[in-house]
Amino acid sequence: MAAASYHTPRLLPALALLSLGALLAVALSVSTGSVAISTAELWAVLQGEGEPLHHTLIFDLRLPRSLAAFATGGLLAVAGALMQVLLRNPLADPYVLGLSGGAAVGALSAMLLGLGSAAVSGSAFIGAIVSAITVFGLAHGTGSWTPTRLLLTGVVIAAGWGAVVTFMLAIAPTESLPGMLFWLMGDLAYARSPWPALTTLLALSLLLLPLGRSLNAMARGPLQAAALGVAVKPMEWSIYIAASLLTALAVTTAGSIGFVGLVVPHMLRLILGNDQRLILPACALAGGALLTLADTLARTIIAPEQLPVGVITALLGVPTFLLLLYRSR
Amino acid sequence: MRRLLVVLSLLLAHIASASSERCVDDDRNVKVCLDAPAARIIALSPGATELLYAAGAGDKLIAAVSFSDYPDEAKALPRVGSYNRFDLEAILSLKPDLLIGWHSGNPTEQLAQLEALELKVYYSELRGFDDVSRTLRRFGELAGSEPSANAAAEHFDQGISALRKQYQNAESVRVFQQIWVNPLMTVNDQHLISEATRLCGGINVFGNLPRLAARIDHEAVLAANPEAIIAGGMGEENRSWLDDWRPYSGLLAVQRDNLFFIPPSTLQRPTPRLLSGTRMLCQHLDTARGRR
Repeated sequence: MAAASYHTPRLLPALALLSLGALLAVALSVSTGSVAISTAELWAVLQGEGEPLHHTLIFDLRLPRSLAAFATGGLLAVAGALMQVLLRNPLADPYVLGLSGGAAVGALSAMLLGLGSAAVSGSAFIGAIVSAITVFGLAHGTGSWTPTRLLLTGVVIAAGWGAVVTFMLAIAPTESLPGMLFWLMGDLAYARSPWPALTTLLALSLLLLPLGRSLNAMARGPLQAAALGVAVKPMEWSIYIAASLLTALAVTTAGSIGFVGLVVPHMLRLILGNDQRLILPACALAGGALLTLADTLARTIIAPEQLPVGVITALLGVPTFLLLLYRSR
Repeated sequence: MRRLLVVLSLLLAHIASASSERCVDDDRNVKVCLDAPAARIIALSPGATELLYAAGAGDKLIAAVSFSDYPDEAKALPRVGSYNRFDLEAILSLKPDLLIGWHSGNPTEQLAQLEALELKVYYSELRGFDDVSRTLRRFGELAGSEPSANAAAEHFDQGISALRKQYQNAESVRVFQQIWVNPLMTVNDQHLISEATRLCGGINVFGNLPRLAARIDHEAVLAANPEAIIAGGMGEENRSWLDDWRPYSGLLAVQRDNLFFIPPSTLQRPTPRLLSGTRMLCQHLDTARGRR
């Protein structure tokens, strides 16, 4: 496989193909559900005619949910790719530095207090940001920080959040347990409005595009990056802040959905090579498409009953990833 | 002389206790036998606490688990942990003569451990209306409070059969029973709530689902288009779940304003309060019939 070159001729065709895949995923998600809607009926609804029930189903339930799924998947995959560059560790994912733990403590506290879903989202976001600031502040300490130090701080903080989450589950009244567990497993049913996540995904992807060259240098190590004229410290800061913000928004939208952020960037690197200018937008598209498909399956396989989406992302992703890894040797 | 009196009284006490030996079947159909009426009972589920009070055995109750909040006296009882993880040492130190366990809710190993320590454990598992009055009678027998227990059981049975009679020929109403909001959850026909719904002439639109408590999506509710939506709430007063349905103006239940709230503790727990919850449910369904 060709090493990451600085001129990727495959950029446009690859992105065009992924965009097509993403569009198909959203289209499939909008057209399937526990109520069967035929293509003709779907067409009528899209033209503003058709049954009111179908109109409600498509515009009030399915479309916001699949857009939210797409945005969440995209956010997680981009955040994962950034974390892997920042920490130079293939095991890094958006949650490795304890962000999802902080968000979980926030969300579960709101649930324990019996607050509504807006408060749950709000406190999840606050929890994630508090966690990000804590980790960064502590890793910074009195001296300089290294990726190893940041990683260790994050992993230990994550373990701390984990203990708090377990404690909350242990003392929670029985009737709030299902809600808490589904939040922890990740669930698109919470998604209210897809727009904050979707606009952030788009904006940050566009902002990161011009940084692709510097990110490529960063992926090779700070010394090489510095030699290539990249301002390493500010760059590390921006990557950390961007990844934290993306992850915080993702968990706020749909709880802590695992797996997407770890595996999608790796999958794409195996296929497309490690050029961040291509990988980041590709992550946004492929992560979004994967989660949209997974969510569609999760809500239709045993409809009207619903499965947690995390089950499906792993079931789809694990064999795909293993196959790619096996073939790449 | 004094020694003789002591011996005599001991003997009498022995005879008295021998004659008051009592045995009941628990919900596993295992005999639970006591030499004398239980005087130190620990209830290992909030439901058991409520049933013991209703059976007139509240004064024999020496401890309960967390969330045992009904009746008010129960809140003052010492706690021995939660229903899913209790403190064996605390239980032993209180020297109970009877434990009321919850077959499907308590950890099996902990119950087995308590039995291995020679404590009497009654396993309760209530699934329907009949179980409520049967359990009340059994608790009365175990605690020696038969008169009030039997009266409570009688009152419950009569109330339920009156409702059954009143609504047996009522026109059916298709009902969506919402038991949780995030995730949206309902129950199938095996659940107590559905037994109450059937009694009031209602049909649970999700009765055929395979799981007792199932997680569903909004789409399924819109497709089922129930005539009435009955919701419990996070608290005993919270009606906000029902307001979430109002934007779906295509729903028959919304068009006719058949969105009803029933405090979850009166309809979702197999205790004597089930009578008032069922009565409320029947009235709501009758209101729905009136809006046709």
